[in-house]
Amino acid sequence: MLVREIMHADPVTIGPETSLEAAYALMLERHIRHLPVVDAGRVVGVVTDRDLRLATSRLAEQPFPAGTGVSEVMSGPVQTAHPLDPIESAARVMRELKIGCLPVLDGTRLVGIVTGVDILDALLKLTGVERPSGRLEVRLPDQPGELARLTRFLADLKINIHSILSYPDGEHRGRTVLRVATIDMRTLVERLGDAGFEVLWPPVKPCRE
Amino acid sequence: MPRVIYHPAYGGYDLGPEHPFSPGRVAMVLDLLAELGIATRLEAPAPATVAELLSVHDEEFVRVVEAASAGEVGAAAADFGLGTADNPIVPGMADAARWLVGGTLHGARLIAAGGADLVLQLGGGLHHARRRLASGFCLYNDLAVAIRHLVDARMRVAYIDIDVHHGDGVQEIFYADEDVLTLSLHESGEYLFPGSGWPHELGQGMGRGLKLNVPLEPFTEGASYLDALEKVAGPALDFFRPDVLVVQSGADTHHLDPLADLMLTSRDFERVIRAIMGLAERYTRGRALFTLGGGYSPRATPRLWTILYLVLHGLPVPPALPPAWVERWGSVLGEPAPDTLHDPNDPYPAIPRRPEITSQNRGMVDRLLDGVARYWL
Repeated sequence: MLVREIMHADPVTIGPETSLEAAYALMLERHIRHLPVVDAGRVVGVVTDRDLRLATSRLAEQPFPAGTGVSEVMSGPVQTAHPLDPIESAARVMRELKIGCLPVLDGTRLVGIVTGVDILDALLKLTGVERPSGRLEVRLPDQPGELARLTRFLADLKINIHSILSYPDGEHRGRTVLRVATIDMRTLVERLGDAGFEVLWPPVKPCRE
Repeated sequence: MPRVIYHPAYGGYDLGPEHPFSPGRVAMVLDLLAELGIATRLEAPAPATVAELLSVHDEEFVRVVEAASAGEVGAAAADFGLGTADNPIVPGMADAARWLVGGTLHGARLIAAGGADLVLQLGGGLHHARRRLASGFCLYNDLAVAIRHLVDARMRVAYIDIDVHHGDGVQEIFYADEDVLTLSLHESGEYLFPGSGWPHELGQGMGRGLKLNVPLEPFTEGASYLDALEKVAGPALDFFRPDVLVVQSGADTHHLDPLADLMLTSRDFERVIRAIMGLAERYTRGRALFTLGGGYSPRATPRLWTILYLVLHGLPVPPALPPAWVERWGSVLGEPAPDTLHDPNDPYPAIPRRPEITSQNRGMVDRLLDGVARYWL
């Protein structure tokens, strides 16, 4: 999944001279929290709703007047992303620098913006229930061909896989979480067990006749 | 007296000898009623027409299903959920599904025309079928076709789904509809197919606040289940004021069910049916259309649906099962059939996590009611 698939294209921008008051009104009107500041076609900063609130707070040592230009309070120079960056690297930058958004640049041209909430939406898409399905979790040895063995097993049963996530689980094992299109998960789990797979989810029913 | 709908052609909805959605389940109910000396008056419907299916299904979907059923399997079949483990392509499946739809629709017609208040359709309940997707053993959505007919007859429909799986197909089809309230109680999608059915799924547009879901913890028992039903159904129907109930009476909440993990007993199931009958008395002057649904334990499902039949008819539930029936079906199943209509007392070991499960279910009900409150003002 790439940044260009989850970013907001053509973001709302402001100039460095835009007043704090005007920037705040724009955020309220558009229901956004981040505004890239563009000067002569270049992104020179980002101003957030938090920047505005802190700058103008009565609790601040010297609150800025509402008419101040945003260049006084914006962050810059700006961390940016490229449309072809994988979303995980965008997420990494945002986490490590503790920032809430990345303007997306193609060369020097601003083409989009990606925020933490967009990353959350991507996570929902990766793990969510987009089609009727059941959740299956299997622990596999960390060796070539193991995942193939599992997916072949499902294919032979004519069970479609809607989504699949795999991640390391300890030293020599991996955990694979799938959403599979079958209502008859218990039978599937039994068959997987008979074939030697270690099923972690769904959990075992304790009282069965 | 309720009207009871059934046609032998329902038996054609047979997805294979290994498939859990077996027509043998209803055959066992009818045989049991006969052995109990109960004279059933079964009303035969006509199969639904393609035009009737199109009241809720996509035209291309219906065309592909009908073609596959007639032996013409195109590349598009897989796009519509056909040819999978749950929905294998079986010759004649579309015709059989149209018989089931026709039966439920017949029930809706009886009620809409004022010819009946209470109807039991001894089949159908194919609640997973979507506008353009066969899913979870379900080809065509008989419930949705019937609900559409009732709505077209200017009735407000409250759909109650007690199958252990979320009634996702019915919810999808009426998600933005202001004349249809859907309430589904089911095992949590975290554990069970189809994965949807969360309290935040509240409907869209004019239907907002009219689609209600109570996901329940695995190993939920009867008391907690009934508590959730009562806490949600009363306020929902108080607000919605339906003219008729449509009830999907899946029997797979039973503790013996091989596909799911709720722990209801046959007595709990009887209480649930009586509670729904109470809702019908209170809100719809007794107007209700019951269908069957899921239920995959041959040792439990026929008993539960027999209890459903008896309760709807106001007949007592006899304790013992007729020996002839026990013997006959014992030999068919290859294991001794149960010999009492209700489960034995304490049919399963105590659930150690009962307090946590109960409290989690209560939290889920509260979350749903909190979320929906502002739409019910």
